[in-house]
Amino acid sequence: MNHFFHHSLKELKKHTYDYLLLFTTGIFFIIFLKLFQGDRFYTFITVLIFVFSYIIWGIFHHAKTRTLHIKNVVEYILIGFTILFLLQILLNY
Amino acid sequence: MNKFQRFLHHLFVPSYRNNYKSKALHTDFLAYYLIFALLLMITVKNIRSNYPNVLGFATDITSNKLLELTNNERTKANLNPLILNNNLTEAAEKKAKDMFNKNYWSHFGPNGETPWDFILGTGYQYEYAGENLAKNFLFSQGVVDAWMKSPTHRENLLRKEYANIGFAVVNGVLNGEETTLIVQMFGTPTTGLNQSLNQKINPLTQNKNDSITLSGNDMQNILGNSEKRSVINIFSFSIEATYFFLIFFALVLMIDFVIASKLHIIRISGKNIAHLVFIGFILIAIVFILKVGAIL
Repeated sequence: MNHFFHHSLKELKKHTYDYLLLFTTGIFFIIFLKLFQGDRFYTFITVLIFVFSYIIWGIFHHAKTRTLHIKNVVEYILIGFTILFLLQILLNY
Repeated sequence: MNKFQRFLHHLFVPSYRNNYKSKALHTDFLAYYLIFALLLMITVKNIRSNYPNVLGFATDITSNKLLELTNNERTKANLNPLILNNNLTEAAEKKAKDMFNKNYWSHFGPNGETPWDFILGTGYQYEYAGENLAKNFLFSQGVVDAWMKSPTHRENLLRKEYANIGFAVVNGVLNGEETTLIVQMFGTPTTGLNQSLNQKINPLTQNKNDSITLSGNDMQNILGNSEKRSVINIFSFSIEATYFFLIFFALVLMIDFVIASKLHIIRISGKNIAHLVFIGFILIAIVFILKVGAIL
């Protein structure tokens, strides 16, 4: 666990602004979810925007660090859409 | 290392065997997760449209669980547990159906219908009666918790005069939106001695219990619905599957990240920390998504 925190901090320090952007997006995501709580349509739109923001963040970050590759983009898309489908099940109730 | 250990090692630990990345994070595995989520979503959607009236399907709420939780709260407050009453259950069911038929969400109907009309309509002569309403909750516990947090509903739920209770959990469309209505009805029957007195007491009792509504099915319906719920409990399964996937995925990301960092592996891959941050926010989001209910 110590190794995890040590290496996580190292990574966060190395790309502070990028991760700050991701955290800010996440905080806005939670604020909007709270605002639209109970409204399924707007909650879905909020989740959709967050998933796309995450994918765009991935592309932006890897482009910035010159590690952008189609495999990375596919990875972010697959994770993002898996989560979107799972949340869509919960949103339907 | 036996075959199973080798498989787990291959699945979770980056090494030369899996191109220095946990196999569970390879693109083909990520595609399997996506297919699983997609199939689950389609299955749930199909079951919902084919069996729209299966009680307890849209939510994990059952009448007997609500009864158990209500009586637990009463026992904690040193009050008598309530006995499920067929008439109150029928009244609650009629009330719920009336709300769907006339498209309203209130203790009182658009034509002046009161909760007391539904109770008296079943032949239940009451000395005290009350009603609590809830909609769009996902769990029985959430419903009772919400009622207990509201002073008026709590007062109703913990009224010492009540002896009977009835519940209805009914799915339908309200204001164009699929809704699960929960009606909880309380009552104290009149005794033979004060039968004539009760008619005079009624208006007073109604005022006392204005904020309370109940719902229910008769006993046979409750049992039947509970059986259906236990067979088709895809809702609980989908929530558990979502949690299981998120926790499993987060653990794999953490293991992969620690080992790859320790070994100073340089590879073309997404950022595990970014994925973990994303999953963290999604877990918080689920809490908000699951809390959608309203009480009245």
